Amino acid sequence: MSFEESRTDTDAESALFEVATSVKQQLGINRDQDNLMGWMFVLPNVVMFLVFLLGPVLFAFFISFQDWNILKNEGTWVGLTNYIEILQPWPWENNFAALKDPTVNLWWYSLKNTAVYAIGTVPLQIFGGLAIALLLDKRVRGKKIYRAAYFMPVMLSGAASAVMWRWFLAADGVINGLLEPIGLAHNWAGDPATALGGVMLMAIWGGIGSNMIFFLAGLQNIPEELYEAARIDGASDWEKFRHVTWPNLGNTSFFVIVMAIISSFQVFGIALAFSAGGPYYSTTTSVLLIYQRAFEEGQMGVGAAMAFLLFILIFAFSYYQYRYRQSEEVDY
Amino acid sequence: MARSNYEYPGYEASGATYWTKTTLLYAVVSLGALWMTLPFWWTLTTALSQNPTASSVTFIPAELTLGNFVTLWERPDILLVRWFLNTVLFATAVTLFNLAFDSLAGYSLAKVDFWGRDTLFLGFISTMMIPGMVTLIPVYLLLVELNWINTYQGLIAPLAANPFGIFLLRQHFKSLPSALGDAAKIDGCNEFQTFYKVYLPLAKPALATLGIFTFMGAWNNFEWPLIIANSNEMYTLPVALFAVRNQYFAEWGLMMAAALLIVAPVIIAFLAAQNYFIQGMSLSGMKG
Repeated sequence: MSFEESRTDTDAESALFEVATSVKQQLGINRDQDNLMGWMFVLPNVVMFLVFLLGPVLFAFFISFQDWNILKNEGTWVGLTNYIEILQPWPWENNFAALKDPTVNLWWYSLKNTAVYAIGTVPLQIFGGLAIALLLDKRVRGKKIYRAAYFMPVMLSGAASAVMWRWFLAADGVINGLLEPIGLAHNWAGDPATALGGVMLMAIWGGIGSNMIFFLAGLQNIPEELYEAARIDGASDWEKFRHVTWPNLGNTSFFVIVMAIISSFQVFGIALAFSAGGPYYSTTTSVLLIYQRAFEEGQMGVGAAMAFLLFILIFAFSYYQYRYRQSEEVDY
Repeated sequence: MARSNYEYPGYEASGATYWTKTTLLYAVVSLGALWMTLPFWWTLTTALSQNPTASSVTFIPAELTLGNFVTLWERPDILLVRWFLNTVLFATAVTLFNLAFDSLAGYSLAKVDFWGRDTLFLGFISTMMIPGMVTLIPVYLLLVELNWINTYQGLIAPLAANPFGIFLLRQHFKSLPSALGDAAKIDGCNEFQTFYKVYLPLAKPALATLGIFTFMGAWNNFEWPLIIANSNEMYTLPVALFAVRNQYFAEWGLMMAAALLIVAPVIIAFLAAQNYFIQGMSLSGMKG
């Protein structure tokens, strides 16, 4: 673009700006009106957020210090009693009894279940999703069909997939039908040692598809020139993945990992519909415990206190991840 | 930048290596796909069997019958039509409210220059960090106070706004030229007319994506209706399935028939409009 041209552009723009400003003034559109209209447009959302989100968070904090009577819908102040009741005995007391025996302290036991669930599902969901995305990103015939197949489980309600998998993993279920000939039949969903594994298997099944979609979108944004440069340098497939694909997927992986961990800490519906927390508390996750305390036993104060403890945990984790991410940031 | 699949590296290799690699690739992808789809097949074959046993439904069912669906229809406590209509009403209302509120807010945050705008936007975005289970108990108690438990308004209202929708639509409106709005105002449109007549029609693709995504989320939502709907007449399909599970546990044929009735509409809709669903999903990846 020549100097002449760019000058004309700027002139035209500033002329247009002047016209627009004068028109705005003539029509009486001024900052006051912008303020009024702007706030009126966001008003419905502001009201919704205050009533159903911000207000409730403060209210939850308040409830967590109360012994709540659900019949009168009011509480009495009990200070830290709820928190102490939830947290004690501490997990390290009596040789980590709380982590081994649900009757000692169900909160710590449920937290252990949640951690096992998170550690068991998140890496497989992510690496499974990434692997499938990498494979489908190549020249594969029937790519759309494969993509649909992997995405189908994502479309299901947690209740539906839990009920389905409960049948597959039942003592007389389909999976045992497959395992019987090789002598591995087992009451997978009915045994406290394997029930959580069943929930995890179902979650991996339902979680790979969405991660695949995120990674496919991320892969599309990597400039082809980088691969070309790597090819000219004689990089192997693994080296291309290690030095081109993976660093460039940074933002996608970060998002996918954080979201997967946060949502795994909030797992509840599938555990409830699969086995209602049993057998013998083996699938009682932390949020399922909150649900049972608050909505089955009516202990709103205890439930709210548990929810806050989990909130702090999730928040601390997200913050740590964010800081870690900032220190790792790579620029190209 | 999009790049064509033909340019993807890793295919320079020729001869035996190429064929080994390709065969391995297809084997892995197909095995995975089999694992993803087999549960749907098992659900179908179990639903169509009168007395399902492990061996009778694994691959090819021994006998086919619609008996389970007839039983579901005839049991007096199973209100299929009512549950279906509840779910349609719930999901539609939540979607319409979200689209209306979020497009208004998204437009305002993108195109109107008002006091406190950027702070407000930041506030909306940071509410995405609040985990749902913290607000579950207080919102429930609020609805108890309002006498809204077990009502449609109780089901719908708390889900009527969603920060992700605001974010998505704000980004979309921001990408549209401001000159359009200026022209409309010179022609005498007020702020609402500018929004409604000029910008909203241009946001149709984003609205469709958000709409499908929201509808699907509400249709599948299990946790919220579980807490709010506590009579048979008010159940939505996922809660109803949970209730059927508790009532008729171990009648697997019956349960899979019920599961299939919930799953089938979603899967059919997905296969018909695959790209919209997948686009909605990848857009939700932007919220990070």
